[in-house]
Amino acid sequence: MKSKVISLTKVIFKNSFQNMETAKSTNENKNKKSAGMIILYAFVFIYLAGIVGVFSNGVIKELIEINQEQMFLGLILLAIAFLVLIQSIFSAINILYYSKDNEYILPLPIKPSQIVAAKTNVLLLTEYFVVAIIGLIPLTIYGILTSANILYYISMIVILVTFPIIPTLISSLLVLIVMSFAKFTKNRNRFQLIATIFILVVVCALSFTVNDTNTTPEQLVAMITKANGLVEMLRGAFPTLGMAIEGITNVNAVSQLFNLLLLVVTTAVVYAIYILIGQKLYLKGAVGNLSSGKKTKKKFDKEKAFKKSSLTKTYVGKELKTLIRNPIFFMQCVLPAILFPILMIVLTFAGIKGEQNGVPTDIASMIPDKTTIYLGLAILCSIQFFLMFIYISATAISRDGQNATFMKYIPVPLMKQIDYKVIPNIIMTTFMSILTVVIVEYLLRIPIVYILLITIAAIMMGVLQSYISIIVDLKKPKLEWSSEYAVVKQNMNLIWPVVLGMLNITIIVILTLLLGNFINSYIFILLIAVVYLLLTMIVRNYIKKNITKLFDKIY
Amino acid sequence: MIKINNVSKSYVKGKKSIDDLNMEIKDGEIFGFLGPNGAGKTTTIKIITGILNPDEGDILIDGKSITKQPLEAKREFGFVPDSPDMFLKLKGIEYLNFLADIYEIPNEKRKERIETLTKKFEIYENLNSEIQSYSHGMRQKVVICGVLLNNPRNWILDEPMTGLDPKSSHDLKEMMREHSKNGNTVFFSTHVLEVAEKLCDRVGIINKGKLVFVGTFEEMKNKFKENKSLEDLFLEITENEE
Repeated sequence: MKSKVISLTKVIFKNSFQNMETAKSTNENKNKKSAGMIILYAFVFIYLAGIVGVFSNGVIKELIEINQEQMFLGLILLAIAFLVLIQSIFSAINILYYSKDNEYILPLPIKPSQIVAAKTNVLLLTEYFVVAIIGLIPLTIYGILTSANILYYISMIVILVTFPIIPTLISSLLVLIVMSFAKFTKNRNRFQLIATIFILVVVCALSFTVNDTNTTPEQLVAMITKANGLVEMLRGAFPTLGMAIEGITNVNAVSQLFNLLLLVVTTAVVYAIYILIGQKLYLKGAVGNLSSGKKTKKKFDKEKAFKKSSLTKTYVGKELKTLIRNPIFFMQCVLPAILFPILMIVLTFAGIKGEQNGVPTDIASMIPDKTTIYLGLAILCSIQFFLMFIYISATAISRDGQNATFMKYIPVPLMKQIDYKVIPNIIMTTFMSILTVVIVEYLLRIPIVYILLITIAAIMMGVLQSYISIIVDLKKPKLEWSSEYAVVKQNMNLIWPVVLGMLNITIIVILTLLLGNFINSYIFILLIAVVYLLLTMIVRNYIKKNITKLFDKIY
Repeated sequence: MIKINNVSKSYVKGKKSIDDLNMEIKDGEIFGFLGPNGAGKTTTIKIITGILNPDEGDILIDGKSITKQPLEAKREFGFVPDSPDMFLKLKGIEYLNFLADIYEIPNEKRKERIETLTKKFEIYENLNSEIQSYSHGMRQKVVICGVLLNNPRNWILDEPMTGLDPKSSHDLKEMMREHSKNGNTVFFSTHVLEVAEKLCDRVGIINKGKLVFVGTFEEMKNKFKENKSLEDLFLEITENEE
């Protein structure tokens, strides 16, 4: 049993990573390219680690000042729990159900429990990448700044390995339960989409109800005045969070080890229960998922069915339909654009609820001058951060797979087709920018002209990003894939929007620091918008001039 | 008419996948393009259709150069690729309308063409379902219908019979004959030698990127002065070149 699970885990894990290699590179170039890519990944990892490190360093030092440094440990563990909870919904659906390996694995003589165990292991292994960045670095810095002993580092490793398991299993179990109804549905794509959104809502709702600790102002004061008292507030926020906090913070070594042991045992028990339930549910959903549903003969409206449209409308319509109707593309490319601002709304309302409990949350009154460069910069940087997760342009060519050659043999200029392919990305980035700005405006009540200028700059930023991203996809298209998941997740091209986004944030921050005191904030934001416009024109012109060469890899 | 002039193509430096190819597919002709796996059939078709650029040489489609006047040349042909897995998330009717919009086919004509073609291929009733729900053969049929919508003078088909049921295969062959009878050109690649023998006016055999034979079957038999089956001749031609 064990060896089958381990070898299956290895095969599924390796398979998903082999998919990361880009197709159609010759052996001679491979070494050079992979060396370059390793340097790039190392750079991105160090950059991200650097940001997390600098941020952690600042926060810990502030908390040490007020004798509440353990609050940092609680917050980091809570962040891991929720991030893993949300992210593993997507990964669980993809790894358990969408991946094409099911077609080969399900007919093999392997027990459902073994398949579930192996797939869950792969799921966990992928979650550890996130944990490494948001957990390992901050907790190590904490250890250094508080001159922690060896026991701290040992428990840190035990906790980072065991703590993310339960949130992963919770999400995965929810996915297993909901997907077991798949066979009863006629339109499986729509079902999967609704199921994912439903699970996401359930998890978010659970997070907020559990998080609602109803602390009275008196209790809050007592917690703040007691050394490391604030961390008490977080204990109930996630089932195993208390154990993890005790396991890493307790000054009493025996109690610390006891809590660690408790965490490990609880996790093992939950894992065993999960496998027991999972094996009963998995085959139901997975088999239901493989059958493509009944073929139905649907009548269509003959009057409307044969109507001529403009090329722009028909081409962009085709792009949008492919995006929206494919659940994986929709979840990875479209949903983040809606999700991020909506999460902001939820958090805002959670904040308002906090105000009723006596905690001041009237942010608008906390910022007296709402036309500073720094505020505009903060909004633009937030939008840029969200933009990094909109992959419509960055996968516009790869999403077509082998079908991408279609672009080359139809009588439509390639540049025109590039414009059409970029439009959905522009629509979504614009939508996301406007939604974000509306929420910010609701919260902060910024003067209308200033917020309009910021909106224009944000939209221009989205347009620029849309064109740059499609160059990345044209230069390294991933056309040979077996699952749509490979295009939007196991695609190293997607690191470029992050790299460029971080570069953009860095440039804006440096410019602000250099010019912030010498230039009017309205003019500054307007200048940024103009620069983005000019850059877009330059980038588009570059694509137009090199269009034939850029399409070389598509054949 | 499709004219291939001195076309060469290398994927890797120093190794030609297509080596100085010269062919002319005349008006009113069905031309079969044969060769073993990896011989260069698909590469040639990709160069003809503009998917790949040749390193040397040019292709003229009804006198229009695919490298110098790509848009004009692309309007002159319809292409059926070897894999029919295209735009799976679109409904059959949406796919056909999309192509009709690309080729600027007016409302009345598109209605008549879509109805005639899809009824002939027996997919009319399924047009309002996503292509993803179609069988391999149905997908092949919808792609063929899409190409024929515009009624292009030159048909280029890569392994068009794969996955078609006997009736659809028969219908397609009939349509190819009819199209060529009207003075148009049909160029297709195939592995099925019997299809080529029965259908084609002439064949071209490619091996390791070089054209090793062009002509009618009679010419092939005369050239080798043997009364062998097409299969034996094909094996002899391609093996001699090893």
